Amino acid sequence: MLSQFGFILLFIVGAFLMLAGILGMARLLRPDKPNDQKLLSYESGENAEGGSLVSFNIRFYVIALIFVLFEVELVFLFPWSVVFGDKQLIEQTNGLWGWFSMAEMFVFIFILSLGLVYAWAQGHLDWLRPDQKVNPFKSEIPSDLYENINKKYS
Amino acid sequence: MYPILFLSFSGLITLFLGFFQEGKWVKPATILFLAIASISAFIDWNKPGAYFFNMLQVNNFNLLLSLVILITAILIVAISDNFKEIEYAHSAEYYAIMQFSLVGAIMMTNFQSLIMLFLGVEILSVSMYVLTGTDKRNLRGNEAAIKYFLLGAFATGILLFGIAMIYGGVGAFEIDAISGTLASNQAQSLFLYIGLVMLLIGLLFKLAAAPFHFWTPDVYEGAPTIFTLFMATIVKTAVVFALYRILHQSFQNMHLSWSYILAGCIALSLIIGNLSAVKQISFKRMLAFSSISHAGFLLLGLLHVSKTADKSLLFYSVSYLLASTSAFGVLLALKNERTENGRSNENISVFKGLATRSPFLSAVLIISMLSLAGIPLTGGFWSKFYVLTDAANDQFFYLIVLALLLTAVGVYYYFKPIITVFEKSDIQEAITINPIFKIIFVLTTLGTLVLGLFPDLLYGMI
Amino acid sequence: MSLILLIPLFPLIGFLINGLGFKNIPKSLVAPIGIGASLLSFVFAFIAYSEFKNTGEVIIVKAFDWITIGDLNIPFSFQIDQLSILMLFIVTGVGTLIHLYSAGYMSHDAGYGKFFAYLNLFLFSMLLLVMGSNYLIMFIGWEGVGLCSYLLIGFWNKNSDFGDAARKAFIMNRVGDLGFLIGIFLIITHFGSLEYTQVFEMAKQYPVGSGIITAITLFLFVGAMGKSAQIPLFTWLPDAMAGPTPVSALIHAATMVTSGIYMIVRSNVLYTLSPVTLNVVAWIGVATALVAATIALFQNDIKKVLAFSTVSQLGYMFIGLGMMAYTSGFFHVITHAFFKALLFLGAGSVIHAMSDEQDITKMGGLWSKIKITAVTFLIGTIAISGIPPFAGFFSKDEILAHTFAHNKAIWVLAMLGSFITAFYMFRLFFVTFTGKFRGTQEQEHHVHESPLSMTIPLMVLAGFSIVGGFIGMPEIFHQPHFLENFLAPIYEGSESVLPGFGNLGISHETEWSLMGLSVVLALVASVFAYVVFVKNATIPKDSSELSGVKKILADKYYIDDLYLKIFSNGTSKLSKGLYNSFETKFLSPLVNSTGTLINFAGKQLTRIQNGTTGYYLFAMGISIAFILVFFLGLDVLSFFKNILGGFSK
Repeated sequence: MLSQFGFILLFIVGAFLMLAGILGMARLLRPDKPNDQKLLSYESGENAEGGSLVSFNIRFYVIALIFVLFEVELVFLFPWSVVFGDKQLIEQTNGLWGWFSMAEMFVFIFILSLGLVYAWAQGHLDWLRPDQKVNPFKSEIPSDLYENINKKYS
Repeated sequence: MYPILFLSFSGLITLFLGFFQEGKWVKPATILFLAIASISAFIDWNKPGAYFFNMLQVNNFNLLLSLVILITAILIVAISDNFKEIEYAHSAEYYAIMQFSLVGAIMMTNFQSLIMLFLGVEILSVSMYVLTGTDKRNLRGNEAAIKYFLLGAFATGILLFGIAMIYGGVGAFEIDAISGTLASNQAQSLFLYIGLVMLLIGLLFKLAAAPFHFWTPDVYEGAPTIFTLFMATIVKTAVVFALYRILHQSFQNMHLSWSYILAGCIALSLIIGNLSAVKQISFKRMLAFSSISHAGFLLLGLLHVSKTADKSLLFYSVSYLLASTSAFGVLLALKNERTENGRSNENISVFKGLATRSPFLSAVLIISMLSLAGIPLTGGFWSKFYVLTDAANDQFFYLIVLALLLTAVGVYYYFKPIITVFEKSDIQEAITINPIFKIIFVLTTLGTLVLGLFPDLLYGMI
Repeated sequence: MSLILLIPLFPLIGFLINGLGFKNIPKSLVAPIGIGASLLSFVFAFIAYSEFKNTGEVIIVKAFDWITIGDLNIPFSFQIDQLSILMLFIVTGVGTLIHLYSAGYMSHDAGYGKFFAYLNLFLFSMLLLVMGSNYLIMFIGWEGVGLCSYLLIGFWNKNSDFGDAARKAFIMNRVGDLGFLIGIFLIITHFGSLEYTQVFEMAKQYPVGSGIITAITLFLFVGAMGKSAQIPLFTWLPDAMAGPTPVSALIHAATMVTSGIYMIVRSNVLYTLSPVTLNVVAWIGVATALVAATIALFQNDIKKVLAFSTVSQLGYMFIGLGMMAYTSGFFHVITHAFFKALLFLGAGSVIHAMSDEQDITKMGGLWSKIKITAVTFLIGTIAISGIPPFAGFFSKDEILAHTFAHNKAIWVLAMLGSFITAFYMFRLFFVTFTGKFRGTQEQEHHVHESPLSMTIPLMVLAGFSIVGGFIGMPEIFHQPHFLENFLAPIYEGSESVLPGFGNLGISHETEWSLMGLSVVLALVASVFAYVVFVKNATIPKDSSELSGVKKILADKYYIDDLYLKIFSNGTSKLSKGLYNSFETKFLSPLVNSTGTLINFAGKQLTRIQNGTTGYYLFAMGISIAFILVFFLGLDVLSFFKNILGGFSK
């Protein structure tokens, strides 16, 4: 019964070992001189201030969701590429396999991009800034008066 | 199979249709798409076979189920109204999601591989979570959507766990392979038992059978009425036939094991559904509890593995679909009659004085209530009759007695709206009904009566 | 789809149009729709006949499967054979004439559209009754005609007496229907089917005198008693005359009341198998014939006389059936349909002429004033009295001949009844049409012949009353008995269980003398009536002025009062008693406390629906755990047992 599942188990175990190995190696090799600046969490070069429970712009979610969508798409591309290039299958089908799987993946990407287009058209990608309001107030005092005063006392 | 493909694409088209002319073509287009999808189902008529690497199975009965689902969807879409009452509504999205959810529902009735079942359940459920929360400014709607999502995710997890267990026990996802293994008469792996129980629990949750029914009243009440109708009809039908395929076409040799779980759930559903409905003031909440008790009846039809089970279940589903569509439809038609804080009043009391204000609507409501209660001359009577006869073949007499007793309780609460219809109201003016509503009501009400008068038109046809 | 399906469909469509739109359809369209529907059915009956004649075999047209429960399958299908063809012709033919007549008769009535809608509905139900291929469809028709009879008797519902008459008819019919229903249930349990062909095929295997068949036939006969107004369920028919006269002619003379006879002829195999039932049928028939005839002697309401005469003639039909002379009984149904419809329509015409006067003591001398009505009425009277060569003679004589051959006692009584029939019919005719006019001045001034739409049906029916009997000439005339030859295939089953069941078995001389005797009796009766009512110009008296036997007869043997005392008052006393003891002390508290309990339970149960997601999850988790423990506990045990078993091997 170690057939298919066994490989997966080995893979998982291998992943953990790899991770542990790399981190452990780094731990052994690296110099260890911490200071305040180094211990700060990295936040795009900005200092993290205040609590983490603050409300921030909802638009982050939309962008993040669309981002995740395309990340997941990439995940699909990896196994596909393995099957796509399967020499045996290509030979068996006289090259048709390649075209078939190619077309299939394009259909997939096309549908996904439709989603992107939809989000775009809906305006989810527009990072709306607050409108810059021009103050409609018009002073009755002409502006050159100020300039004259400035000149006079400069 | 073709409806699945077609609806996947037509859903996308519907999304983009929303950009043109403020989306006024979305609803007619959706009806057109659904009609085309229904017709496309006939491509496979009399051509039984398997699709997608033996993951989907197509035969005439499965096609009939797809048709029932699609036609119900047409009825529901026809009485929807572009969601004018919802603030910031993206109606194109809702119609698109409805079409996607139908893809899931059809997958659930036509699946051959459990993977397909899981996909179907997920497509349907995720769509329903979204649709439940469409009314973003309605607190109850939000609450309902979150509750539905949390509990539903929990149930889906269990369902998937069950599928994995079954795979562990049998080494296959195909239900034919499972039934083959079970028929081989060897001692079965324990995984299979656990897997079946988990799978069953996951689906019972989706069906809203007690004791996995807790989400139902809150979600039914919170969701916009049109989607409540969608849940009560299409989701139920899809899940029941998914259960049918699993229990009757795959695990029929383990009948002794699962029939006890079902019997317990049936008893609980009937008791909780019927008794809780008695005290409800909200019409939607009452129908939610009534749907729990109907889930019990549907399961009763599954209890006995027999040749007539599929007929009885389909008959039950169709008559329940028709009656529910009428009942919720009347509520939708009265949406603007009485409002509370800007939202429509959904209590039973909205029907006050309906008999004088609109005899047509009251007739529709009364017939649907009678059908739900199972009074003769309506489809509801025969559906209960067939289901109970099937169950009687399997010595579950105590369940039948219980079901009959609780049907009497059902009559009590189903008659509440009927009585309210004849109460005097301070408003006297006649209600104008949209002609589309009229057509749909005539169809559903006539359907209910025809099923009641000539049951073999449907029962003999299957 | 066969054209046969259209026959009942036309009246149904007519009913729907007139019934749903009777407020909106202009009056000028109502009658054409109603008459048209009925006429189309009549035309299509001919088409059905030609279709049937081509093959000569029973046609069964299945519209659709109706109900399937387990092994019992009841299709919604129609059977066209000799019997249903004949009934089709009577129902649609007489029906069309009466629709036509109604167009004139009801023209001044406010409920014109309603009336035609009901008539069409009646026609539809009656067609279901005679065309159905199984007992259930017959039962639907049976109930449908009962409903229409109720609706039409109480048509003038402003008068509460008419409403009472309608209810009486309905309730008495319900008693019969219960019997019929039990009969149907017995058939289902014993034959597992309701299809005529299947049931009769299976019935052939039973021995003559089988107990279960006797039970079935008796229960079915109870149904026939109600519908065909036989003792003891006959009192509704005279009261049913409250309805408009065309209704009395169509429903309570020609068609509906004969459905009991149709049912027995249809199930002749079953009845042939049960001599006991046949005896019961014959005795009830003769008792009804005599009782009704004697009552008719002293009635003064023109329609009441005809009503009792109908009851009495139905009795004759049942005598025929009881003698296994099914053809003769059915023959009498046909001729009776002609002359009784004629008489009723004639009576309607008289009532119309007399400005709604129904009492014959206030008529008289109408002969010259309404000639067509009078002549046709006379033809009807001669036909019913059994004077040759009019229609009634042949059919009645055939029944009497069969009775003579089988049971002399019944024959004597039947002859007596026949004598009385001739007498009271001529009494009716003479009192109405001869002598001096006894009505008011105003009425006399107003007397007029009816419009053409009313007299045409009269003349057509009169023609049939004259020649209708020739379809069943007795053998001694050396003419073919058309009806008997035509209906022969119907009795195939009876023939196989009891060969030669319908043979007369008396010599030609006897038959001649019997025929002579009945003609002489009828003539004597008519002469007697002539002497009493024309020569002596006796005017009949009201029952309050009569005494002794005459009063008893005029008061209908006090049967109605008896029923009122026993059944009506008895029932209300019983219910009052039960209400005061059982209902208030026991039933009501029981029911109410159940309701309270349910409400309480509902209230408690809604508490578990508290709206907290966490709690819901917890409850679900508990449930899952419970199921796993409970269910897997068993299976785990067996699983380990298996493993252990494997080890021990």
